[in-house]
Amino acid sequence: MVDLEKLRTVAKETISRDDVKYLIGWRQGTYGFRVTPCFIEEPGEAEQLIFSPLCTNNLASYLIVTEKLPLPRGEKPDTRKVAVMVKGCDSRAVVQQLIEQGIKREELYIIGCPCEGVLDLKKVEAKFPHILDPVAAQWGKDKIIFQLPEGVVEVPREEVLAQKCLDCRDPNPVIADITLGEEIEAWGNGEYQDVKELEAKSAEERWAFWEDKFSSCIRCYSCRNVCPMCYCKDCILDRLNPSWIYRSTNISENTAFHLSRAFHLAGRCIECGECERVCPVDIPLMKLNQKFSKEVEEKYGYRPGIDPEAKPLQSSYRPDDKEDFIL
Amino acid sequence: MKEIANPYKPEIATIEDTWQETYGDRAIKTFKVVLDDEEIRENWSHRPGQCAMIGILGVGESMISISCSPTEGKFLRFSVMRAGKVTQALHELEPGDKMTVRGPYGNSFPVDDWKGKNILTIGGGIGQAPLRPIIEYVKANRADYKGLSLIYGARTSADLCFKDEFKALDERDDVNYHLSIDIEEEGWEHYVGFVPSLLMEVDPSPENTIAITCGPPVMINFVLQNLKELNFTDEQIYTTLENRMKCGIGKCGRCNVAHLYVCKDGPVFSYATLKSIPEAFA
Amino acid sequence: MERMKIGKEKFGDFLAALDKQLYAPQKVGETLRFVPITPEDKLDLEFSNTTVPPKSVLFPQTETLYRYELGKTDLNLPDDEAEKVLLGVRPCDARAMAIVDDLFSWDYNDPYYQGKREKTTVVGLACSDPEVNCFCTSVGGGPASTEGLDLLLTDLGEVYLLQPLTEKGNNLCREAAEVLEQATEEDAAAAEKLHQEAAGKIVRKVDTEGVTEKLMELWDHSLWQDLSRACLGCGTCTFLCPTCYCFDIQDEAEGLEGRRCRVWDSCMFAEYTLHASGHNPRPTVRERTRNRVNHKYSYFATKFGKIACVGCGRCINLCPVNIDILNILAEVIKEAI
Repeated sequence: MVDLEKLRTVAKETISRDDVKYLIGWRQGTYGFRVTPCFIEEPGEAEQLIFSPLCTNNLASYLIVTEKLPLPRGEKPDTRKVAVMVKGCDSRAVVQQLIEQGIKREELYIIGCPCEGVLDLKKVEAKFPHILDPVAAQWGKDKIIFQLPEGVVEVPREEVLAQKCLDCRDPNPVIADITLGEEIEAWGNGEYQDVKELEAKSAEERWAFWEDKFSSCIRCYSCRNVCPMCYCKDCILDRLNPSWIYRSTNISENTAFHLSRAFHLAGRCIECGECERVCPVDIPLMKLNQKFSKEVEEKYGYRPGIDPEAKPLQSSYRPDDKEDFIL
Repeated sequence: MKEIANPYKPEIATIEDTWQETYGDRAIKTFKVVLDDEEIRENWSHRPGQCAMIGILGVGESMISISCSPTEGKFLRFSVMRAGKVTQALHELEPGDKMTVRGPYGNSFPVDDWKGKNILTIGGGIGQAPLRPIIEYVKANRADYKGLSLIYGARTSADLCFKDEFKALDERDDVNYHLSIDIEEEGWEHYVGFVPSLLMEVDPSPENTIAITCGPPVMINFVLQNLKELNFTDEQIYTTLENRMKCGIGKCGRCNVAHLYVCKDGPVFSYATLKSIPEAFA
Repeated sequence: MERMKIGKEKFGDFLAALDKQLYAPQKVGETLRFVPITPEDKLDLEFSNTTVPPKSVLFPQTETLYRYELGKTDLNLPDDEAEKVLLGVRPCDARAMAIVDDLFSWDYNDPYYQGKREKTTVVGLACSDPEVNCFCTSVGGGPASTEGLDLLLTDLGEVYLLQPLTEKGNNLCREAAEVLEQATEEDAAAAEKLHQEAAGKIVRKVDTEGVTEKLMELWDHSLWQDLSRACLGCGTCTFLCPTCYCFDIQDEAEGLEGRRCRVWDSCMFAEYTLHASGHNPRPTVRERTRNRVNHKYSYFATKFGKIACVGCGRCINLCPVNIDILNILAEVIKEAI
């Protein structure tokens, strides 16, 4: 478990460094169980930082999507590092961004936070509705301990943990300049149980399943925007000339959108589950992404975002690569 | 659905003539179009400064300022810079082709209030297009106005719009004009430098004068500064705002600068109004 | 017309008596939205609120303005709208309709929105169990407010109490007179008590007094940078807002069949204000967040005399990074002189 005192001390030291411009971390949100990403510029602000099972956001997304204004004439760019707090899965996003050369290692100061699994807020808020006062949560042995306004409540972890965390193979950051707390033994086995359940169904049943889910999509693009791997400057979704995908919401365009995104993430998705978490209409996007991850792992033994020295899947041809899927 | 009063339903218009004003990546092409429906064509009226939503079925619509004065005849003129999807497709059109037109939209230059005054236009690049209707309007009602002075510049001489029309002004003694280009060129007889500097060179008197400026945001900002230096009051300065628009009728939301809609409350604003609006020069 | 009531087991008969297209909340995928139903469909009105607000019926996310054949110039407008009934609309969402009405009718009438609005009877359902982020009482509404509604239902356990509010509401009661019975004074009193209890359950509040001016005073304040920095620039808060109405107009074609349609758009998208030249007057999430809040609490209020927010709480509930409009407003109120 990460000690809060230690976390804040490290954060203070980090933000005091001359070569760090700001630190991205988590702090308590505006109500109940919510936590919000925060950008620490001054050592004093480090007191806000927390790390708990409520820290769901993958902060690596901000390394790449933060909009930069053109520099005023004569002003030099600020080349100092961005410090970022990462969980195991988040760190894989950083590694994959490095592999793809979306960011540079020298631009980063990575604070690793070994993680015992974060919560699915939809499950938690359904269990404890109507809570306005800020709630703290911490990991216990096989359980989550909540400090609710009415007192301490313990819940078995499998009841409230995010789906992606139930089968986590990477609880420890795979890259970090400093790691807080003890290393955690991984509990996931990579069996892709969710995907296998869907695969067992007939094509008609699978289509019926996705048709229902995709029909509900409102194309808010929160899944794309939150994704640490979706960072194309010119996304095909925004392109009007030509319009690869129309803005109309219907099953055809919505399906084209989700399948394009899934294909673009093949061999790149680092399984942080942010797309599924942020979806306002609860489309189970990880089932789609995990299907690709499973294929990629089975066919090529490749897991993205593990080894910063690795090549991206699509540019790492090996003579013994399977080709049996080519028609 | 009732045919009448559907502001989204455009008229079909035929392109009568087109010509290339400038060439290159951001080429400008002018279209002279006539509305197909005779009754609507006869009843059409617009005022200098207004815009219309023009488009191509299957491609889309784009808000373009009407670059002719109603005094010129029963046709419309649009000078279009090739930039986005719709304007690229418009550039492919030739005489005889159809386009969709709806409008006219927005307010207009208060040309009636300006009667008896000197009119000074200060344009840059494609910014001359919304100024052209004022110039033509004043020329058509010449006795109602005092002096008419035009300042206009572009990057190079090839980037100037309406070149023939400027040349034709040489024949008149009641309009004076000043042209500029950014970089020295062989054979160029006019000013070399930016439009705001040319304005200082011309040094117009603010006495009973209205200054109207259109062009790239950077140019406008410097022109405004310089007009203030020349002692023009905020009420004597007019400009137009260009924001992305989709509906043209104050519904779709995007063209707002603070609480004002450029498509309804603009595109014409006096500097006195704009000064108090935080987003106006963003 | 007087208050009526109907046993819940007979509600299907009430719907069957109405010769209109019915819309009610149903699950699509995993969440609730308003979709066409038949009187035989199972109706579950035990929800706090729908994820997608009922604006999706009056102002569909995709709406054809007219159709044409590519290469030709005949424009075919859509058919006239059928009479509709929207069932189970929460009072906050009904108030949103009354707000959006002003936008779609000022200066130019919007025939697509108004064509549907005029032919729609809005049947509300008083709110008994507000969610944690509901704040309707701070912005002029309440769990049983009637603005924008034609008929208000209150769930009294075994029966629904029907309170007609307009001529359209009266008409519904007349059409279904056979299955309705007169409500008693006790029923009305029970409903009133439920309404008050529900209002008492609303915990989040904001004082909107003077906020229209305060927002403009704080135009350049650092709070916009601080409170927007985590924003991902997605369309969740705006698409699911019952008062957000921004749209784009796009041409789409399939084979030779073309159409010009309007689709929901969001001021939180970077492309929303992007000029063809590449210039963007709202270049970052800071400017876009400020525009979203200012539009609701200042610009719209300046133009139409009312705040364009009904306190439904969706933008707070569903924001993936906990950008909280009440928190922003609280900061604004604190920072304004």
